[in-house]
Amino acid sequence: MNTVLHSLRCMGYAELTRIADVTGSTPSEVESDLIDLAVDGFVVRTPPPFPTWGLTEAGKAEDARQVLDEVSKAGVRDDVLSAYKKFLILNPELLDLCSAALDEDLETARVLARFEDLDKRAEPICSSLAAALPRFGAYSVRLGAALDRARSGEREYLASATDSYHGVWFQLHEDLLATLGIPR
Amino acid sequence: MIFEVSASLEAPVEIIGAKARGLVEMTRLGLPVPSAFVIPASACRSFLRDGSMPDGLDDAVARIAGAGTLVSVRSGAAVSMPGMMNTILNVSRARVREAVPAVFSSWNTPRAVTYRELHSIPHDLGTAVIVQAMVFGDRDQHSGTGVAFSRDPATGERALYGEVLFGRQGDAVVAGESETQPLHDLAVREPGMWEELGSALAALERHYRDACHVEFTFEAGRLWFLQVRPGGLVGRAAVRVAVDLVDEGLIDRRTAVARVSSRDLRLARALYISTTADLDVLARGIGASPGVAAGRIALTADHAVQMARSGPVVLVRPHTSPVDMHGLALAAGVVTSRGGPTSHAAVVARSMAKPAVVAATTLTVDPTSACVFAGSRVVPEGTPITIDGASGLIVLGSPAISEGAGDPHLARLKGWAASRSL
Repeated sequence: MNTVLHSLRCMGYAELTRIADVTGSTPSEVESDLIDLAVDGFVVRTPPPFPTWGLTEAGKAEDARQVLDEVSKAGVRDDVLSAYKKFLILNPELLDLCSAALDEDLETARVLARFEDLDKRAEPICSSLAAALPRFGAYSVRLGAALDRARSGEREYLASATDSYHGVWFQLHEDLLATLGIPR
Repeated sequence: MIFEVSASLEAPVEIIGAKARGLVEMTRLGLPVPSAFVIPASACRSFLRDGSMPDGLDDAVARIAGAGTLVSVRSGAAVSMPGMMNTILNVSRARVREAVPAVFSSWNTPRAVTYRELHSIPHDLGTAVIVQAMVFGDRDQHSGTGVAFSRDPATGERALYGEVLFGRQGDAVVAGESETQPLHDLAVREPGMWEELGSALAALERHYRDACHVEFTFEAGRLWFLQVRPGGLVGRAAVRVAVDLVDEGLIDRRTAVARVSSRDLRLARALYISTTADLDVLARGIGASPGVAAGRIALTADHAVQMARSGPVVLVRPHTSPVDMHGLALAAGVVTSRGGPTSHAAVVARSMAKPAVVAATTLTVDPTSACVFAGSRVVPEGTPITIDGASGLIVLGSPAISEGAGDPHLARLKGWAASRSL
């Protein structure tokens, strides 16, 4: 599976440095991959002065094909589907929490405590996903990093920063949909 | 103890919940409410304590009037917890004994617990449960469902406002997943129903002495009311309603002043696009967060971040999601071509107090060509626009802006607040 293509599939339009952060590669490595993908017609770069990258319809189809291949070779569709169903139970609560995180009248400690409570319940879901497909392991690391920054006083890492808890959660949601071939 | 929903029911909100109390008030006003009974919150507390079911449930089910055999089973707490607990539609009467405990138990879902933790609502209250004869908005071409406001929630102007879905069942509008039509379409398709809705809301306003909104369903040309909520308007709309209600003799000045919160006053001072001059209107959507934002069009969240370094931007997207948050945070305002007043963009913009216009359905956003299409017009990214998050106007360039602080309703209310002789 093409990591850059799939990461971008879960991120929407993104700048080079953000894609590099998520894939754990250097910007020049990612750029080289993106250029190859663009030659194949799978990604496009928006015009300057502020280029960002996104998938074409052909790119989405290619990622779907690769993911289907990955999931069927590993024989883990049922495991991922079971985790996804548990994820869907937590998802509305997470959206409530994000509204709360943006509500300046609510104190940070109270909101953070509920994020931590939800994160404990999300952990087994992330673990079973990582057991099925190791690439999912990155999500608990990124979710944990967002909570750590929120704990250190950066409330925006709950719901408003780019790599906030909500931002990572949303990409996990997109990834689950893409991995299972479910339209949003 | 189970209570029939009838005009003679005196039990207060603390016992039967706000939703059931509203049904009783509507029944008293002679409005058509499907046959219903309410199981009080105390029965929920008993069930959650030891699993015991309320006495007389089967008898109450048998007494439900109506030709059909199906009922809805809805939660209805004394304190508003919108959408947190279960509603089960199309329950056969034989299955009510299974549905009621399911709704009781939904008081303690983790999501509901989190909501109460965040909003300081005690965990031991429990919820009342309403069991009500189903009415079917999907029956035929004279059927449907909707939400109606007695006054425009964006401006407070006295006019019926809302959304309707023809041929659909009750939860479809609130779920927000379907494209609704403006309530006024009802005036054309079902003029009798439109009239009836108007007089019902007028009666409810006189009763509650406040703006109201209702959820309704019509089945084969017959209108039914399923819920009423008084109040709930914010900002300039709240100010205008309070002042107008004084003029209409429904409340006194002291009440008007007390009803408008400091947050409403803050929002009411927001700017708006003056419509007295000619405007180059690019599109019109639904105002979802009041105020005016002017800036250059940015078509992706990352563009918004970069462009914001050299001046204000307005983020224009088909819709937004959490991966756009960094762009929303730095944009002066946001426009979406899809979504509604409860979409992600709308909720986030309101929470950040940024102007937002949603459902500008004539716009097509194309980041690949860095353009927005509006009918035959092509507008490149970077073009300056101005948006009004109350009226939903999206205007090219820099139109004249009016100050909310100069609003005559706001001025009168502030005059009353300052005066000692209320």
